[in-house]
Amino acid sequence: MAGSLQVLDPVAPGRNESQQTRRPLDGLAGKVVGFIDNAKPNFDFLVDDLEQLLLSKYGVTKVIKRRKRGPPMPAPAMIMKELSEQCSLVITGAGD
Amino acid sequence: MHDIARLACESTAANAQAADPARASSGRAALVEVPADAGELHRFFHERRWSDGLPVIPPTPESVARMLRHTERAPGEVVALLTPTYGAATVERIAINAVIAGCEPDYLPVLIAATEAMVAPEFNLQSVQTTTNPAAVWLIVNGPIAQRLMVNAGGNCLGSGALANATLGRALRLIQQNIGGAQPGDTDRATQGQPGKYTFCCAENVEENPWEPLHVERGFAAQANTVTVVGALGTWNIYTEAKDAHDLLRVIADTMTFPAGSDYVFGGEPWLVLCPEHARVLKQDGLSKAEVKRQLWELSKMAARRLAAKDLVRTQGARRAELGEIGPDTLLPITVRPENISIIVAGGEGNHSTYIPNCGLSRSVTRAVAL
Repeated sequence: MAGSLQVLDPVAPGRNESQQTRRPLDGLAGKVVGFIDNAKPNFDFLVDDLEQLLLSKYGVTKVIKRRKRGPPMPAPAMIMKELSEQCSLVITGAGD
Repeated sequence: MHDIARLACESTAANAQAADPARASSGRAALVEVPADAGELHRFFHERRWSDGLPVIPPTPESVARMLRHTERAPGEVVALLTPTYGAATVERIAINAVIAGCEPDYLPVLIAATEAMVAPEFNLQSVQTTTNPAAVWLIVNGPIAQRLMVNAGGNCLGSGALANATLGRALRLIQQNIGGAQPGDTDRATQGQPGKYTFCCAENVEENPWEPLHVERGFAAQANTVTVVGALGTWNIYTEAKDAHDLLRVIADTMTFPAGSDYVFGGEPWLVLCPEHARVLKQDGLSKAEVKRQLWELSKMAARRLAAKDLVRTQGARRAELGEIGPDTLLPITVRPENISIIVAGGEGNHSTYIPNCGLSRSVTRAVAL
């Protein structure tokens, strides 16, 4: 490169690594499913509908729904512990 | 619904997991050949999304080495992993971004401490970096280092004209972007953003402050050097010629009371930058900083009916444990406790103070600057 100089790269490589961290389920029948509601308006309505489908069409035995204080914060440790101990599958997301 | 069931049961699906800080490699920065011409260099950095759109200083190995002489920490030492991409903020990468921003070499310890402060759990960096809110990280420098580095605490301290204020705030923003991966329009999802995302830095005006400074209030010795990071949503001028403490507090509290921010929804941490004149008025009426906070907390309570209907629902969910059932007539305090209203004294002559709303559930963090 004509008229060039050398500089140090200011960017750090991203460290979000894709990896398998869960066991796949053999099906939903007989399982307990958890939801983390991020507290955006209407997420609870969506989850109520999904709960009915999971129970009536997929054989799920129980749905546990827990709501965070607000979208910008992580779920508290107590909720994480409860869901990880009781659920085979936990779903989180945002409604609006 | 079918897709949810499929994802839960298939074995090939993968998900992203945050890296373990202990596994972060130091990874020294690579050398890159760039144009020597200033204009071409500016465009080169902009095209690679390494800048904030403003002209840059080239981070040559020599200029970065000059900065690294101002810390005893190894260049490859990982100070923190910054969300959302969990990039490793090595001492060297902090220095590189400081050079790009135009910092003097002896600013480096402030930026290392600020980077450490941003990853304290209560700061909630993930939210600050990725929110749709106009969240800027405001740096407040306290202690003797503020004067030594000439961080402006007087007139125009939140404006332009001071090298330290301009470049320290800018460097931290570049660290957020280039190391943490908060790229505007990509992982930085700000709906509009704010000018403070270019730079937002000041010191406290110790000479004109009638109370204990921020770092002493937070348990540090007066001669300690500290930096405080705040998730700030903007600046709102409070201009009043009030010379009576009660009159002044009433007007300030009324300015803080608005229904479209996050503070009332979650119980936040709003900030006031009181100008020396307003601080004198309050002190002359015998008020301590704690009493000022207590009175502002009482005077800024807002009827929940002022919130939009959907925001009232959010507030009911977020503050039920604190306030019980919330109805339209419930008076919402702006923070959970009066001491969560934060105050510094800064600025020059005149009767202008500044209100700075807080970014949702982020809490400010103060860290010592190691020299």
